[in-house]
Amino acid sequence: MVIGLCLVALAAYVKATKFRLTGRSVYFIAAVMLIFLTLSSPVNTLAAGYLFSAHMLQHLLLLLVIPPLLLLSLPECNPRHLIGRTMDRFRLHPVAAWLAGLCAMWIWHERTLCEAATTTQAGRVIQIISLLGLGAIFWWPIVGPQKDRRLFPLLGVVYLFSACVGCTILGILITFAPVGVVCPVYLHPVDRLGLLPLIRDQWGITPAKDQQIGGLMMWVPACGIYIFGVIALLARWYRTAEKTSDVVTAETGSPAPALSHRSIGEKA
Amino acid sequence: MNGAAILTDQSVPADFIKRRALSWASTVDHKRIGVLYLVTTFGFFLIGGVEALVMRLQLAVPQNHLLSPDVYNQLFTMHGTTMIFLVVMPALIGFANYFVPLMIGARDMAFPRLNAMSYWFFIFGGLLLHFSILAGGAPAAGWFSYAPLSETPYSSSAGVDYWIMALLIMGVGSVAGSINMIVTILALRAPGMTLRRVPLFVWMVFINSILIILAIPALNAAIVMLFIDRLLQAHFFMASQGGSPILWQHYFWTFGHPEVYIMVLPAFGMISEVIPVFSRKPIFGYPFVAASTVAIALLSFGVWAHHMFTVGLGHTSDLFFAASSMAIAVPTGIKIFNWIFTMWGGSIRFTTSMLFAIAFLLQFVVGGLSGITFAVAPIDWQMTDTAYVVAHFHYVLFGGTLFGMMAGLYYWFPKLSGRMLSEKIGRAQFWMMVLGFNMTFFVQHFLGFMGMPRRVFTYPDLPGWGLFNMISTVGAFILGFSVLMLGWNILWSLRRGETAGDNPWNAWTLEWATTSPPPEHNFERVPPVRGRRPLWDLTHPDQPDEESPAAKTDFCPEKNRTSMVVFLVSEGFFFLMLIFAFIYYNYTPVPGPTAASTLNAQKTLVFTICLLASSFTVWRSEVAFRNKRHSAMVGWLVVTILLGLVFIIGQATEYLSLFHRGITIQTNLFATTFFTLTGFHGLHVCVGLLALLIVLVLMLLGDFRNFRPRALETISLYWHFVDGVWVVVFSLVYLKLLL
Repeated sequence: MVIGLCLVALAAYVKATKFRLTGRSVYFIAAVMLIFLTLSSPVNTLAAGYLFSAHMLQHLLLLLVIPPLLLLSLPECNPRHLIGRTMDRFRLHPVAAWLAGLCAMWIWHERTLCEAATTTQAGRVIQIISLLGLGAIFWWPIVGPQKDRRLFPLLGVVYLFSACVGCTILGILITFAPVGVVCPVYLHPVDRLGLLPLIRDQWGITPAKDQQIGGLMMWVPACGIYIFGVIALLARWYRTAEKTSDVVTAETGSPAPALSHRSIGEKA
Repeated sequence: MNGAAILTDQSVPADFIKRRALSWASTVDHKRIGVLYLVTTFGFFLIGGVEALVMRLQLAVPQNHLLSPDVYNQLFTMHGTTMIFLVVMPALIGFANYFVPLMIGARDMAFPRLNAMSYWFFIFGGLLLHFSILAGGAPAAGWFSYAPLSETPYSSSAGVDYWIMALLIMGVGSVAGSINMIVTILALRAPGMTLRRVPLFVWMVFINSILIILAIPALNAAIVMLFIDRLLQAHFFMASQGGSPILWQHYFWTFGHPEVYIMVLPAFGMISEVIPVFSRKPIFGYPFVAASTVAIALLSFGVWAHHMFTVGLGHTSDLFFAASSMAIAVPTGIKIFNWIFTMWGGSIRFTTSMLFAIAFLLQFVVGGLSGITFAVAPIDWQMTDTAYVVAHFHYVLFGGTLFGMMAGLYYWFPKLSGRMLSEKIGRAQFWMMVLGFNMTFFVQHFLGFMGMPRRVFTYPDLPGWGLFNMISTVGAFILGFSVLMLGWNILWSLRRGETAGDNPWNAWTLEWATTSPPPEHNFERVPPVRGRRPLWDLTHPDQPDEESPAAKTDFCPEKNRTSMVVFLVSEGFFFLMLIFAFIYYNYTPVPGPTAASTLNAQKTLVFTICLLASSFTVWRSEVAFRNKRHSAMVGWLVVTILLGLVFIIGQATEYLSLFHRGITIQTNLFATTFFTLTGFHGLHVCVGLLALLIVLVLMLLGDFRNFRPRALETISLYWHFVDGVWVVVFSLVYLKLLL
């Protein structure tokens, strides 16, 4: 089913852009391929009950990698379109967006929810959709299609770094928690495909190690993604050199400013 | 009003000087405070240096008996603590204090009195630390005070307690100073100086200040927990009742690793000013230097466990941290290339300042390379706790930061004092310092390879060990002599140095657009800022720099609100560490009293509702302020204070009932973490109530009649924060009991 959906999405995109591939298309194609990898490859098989760390990999991709790629592939918001006008009307507060992302991350590690997502089909579907959706909301202030609604780059750095801290704390807790505290279902996986000897003996991944790897993935690579976002933000900020005339028009300089007086752009 | 006039003008009458001298004690001028920092740190540098020389005397020959082991331990603890907290950090802050307002074209820092407070907290903390020598012995558990060595059974004298208290006091000063710096840089830049045009020293100090407000709370959490262990017999870090000594290491290095970047970023900034000026070229790749600084700062919070490769965290953990530690070398490496390419093709003037900058480049790279070898965990397993580590961090901190500060000092001394430092003495001092430094520390790499441990008061007579240690000791004395030469240079030049003009180096940043030293108000007129090199643009308007991003708007937040937000971020981090400890120690139920068996969640719910209601009422007070309705504003504030009082009284009754049942902070880990977390929250509530009360009194005295003061909105931000923290604490501790 996933393969089918991916192919349909690609076909629809290609038709919509009328075979003209731009930079944005790369993002879309990358996103679709990652969805395929996440939900249909061996990663998925392992995540479905065998390895907690594979499950974590899915999480990270679904929440932190695929949504921004999808957002980046969206065209500029056109106010003449219905969608553009609707989006213009609703403002997304950055704090709400931030909370959406953090909650998505933390809630799915609560024991009952984690088990439901691994063992029931409905749970899995809800989890996937919620991660993609909340991820999109989280990344909206950073890479959303409405360029003027994006956060000021330095505030964007604060936004991403604080999310990284939130992610780190969860990662630390999972890494150092006693095994089985987070998601007990991975302690004794149901071996439908006969993979357990491969995982336990050949790869040497015990449940304890599995949980450690999962926690560490939430900790280090996840933060790596945020840091990458920060660097991209800064690169974008330093590159925008508008060469327009200066803000300061005085030729002879300004008198020494008083302590708290600001003349341009003061946000009271 | 400048210090140099005291020393050079012989015709000034004596009592005038006395009055002037006393004025230094009450100054709020950022330039004088900067000089105070620099002079004080030089004094502590001499003390720390003497401690080092005495240690080197002990280590000069094998099986030496000059010092007893305990005295040696005190010496290396004091040397490390002094050099890190009383020399490097405050000296960098001193330079920043003096030059950041000048470089951004401001008149002073955003909060001058807070600035003075930071200095006095620093010197008081330093004196308190040294008072421990008279009060039973200096701390002897290392500058990082690992548990359980630093706990009472193994460190029974009060030394560690003084260490903790001194660090807490200095930590407050540092955080306050950093908040001041952040707000100054955001809110007080001259028109035209956008954040993408600030001098790199300013940018580095800005990022550095953010590092400080995040890292110091981690240290504060750790030392507060240690304090509770020592004074109140709790067991945060004692394994006997379920505590974890490893947790100390995690918390300490969460502070400790960002701390090493705190100690180097401003020096990077100084180098980024010095090298372009003496190569007569703008810095190569400004955006790369600036962005890589942000990357370093953020990454620094993700690599701390590379100090713990030998602790037994597991290979998986080691692997991830090895990877992230290798990653963090990249942004620093980028900067080295930027500096080298700045020099490439430039017309280099080998002033003493430039000599120190070039030495910085070479020596910092050596230190960086030895550092990156530690990222490979197996090498770390072999080299940890050997003299190789000592060589590494001295290369980055002394060969790096200190040499960077020397470059900055020789560059900026003319501006500070109106006199040039003697180039002749300077050159001699430079070569003496290079010789002494490398002689002392280069051989320690080899000693480390040969297996000589660090923090040992003596060593056996193994082949080569005695020779290298002797070389190191001789080098140390040469180094000490070079420091005395520096002092001599400064004193000589203050009296007989060549007069510097406004801009002796023909540099381009704003501090050179005023007299040397600057008048109290800094600038008569701030030059127009159209690029990253304002004075270049002024004299060469037809040759603007390539990248001069103009901005239609600039990020310029209001200073009071910004300062409170920054403060709350810092406090938030502190609470995060305490919350983490609570979760960690209560994952699995502990023996003894637990939340379920001791707490009355329903009663606390009532008090919680009062506290949350007080957030609503303070908001109503703010609304009344904005609508200029005075009595409504006062009324809502009174209700806020009363609700807050109800909460704190409720908390007190809960504590009392627990005490009556014999449950105190030392009973078990649940009680320890519970009392620590709720206790610090309660403390914040009390401080908030006091602040609200002060605002109320000001209102009643009529200060708010014109509806201009910003105090209410600032304090209410704090109040909302306190309530927010309680929501988290309540959910963690009490919520399960209600459901």
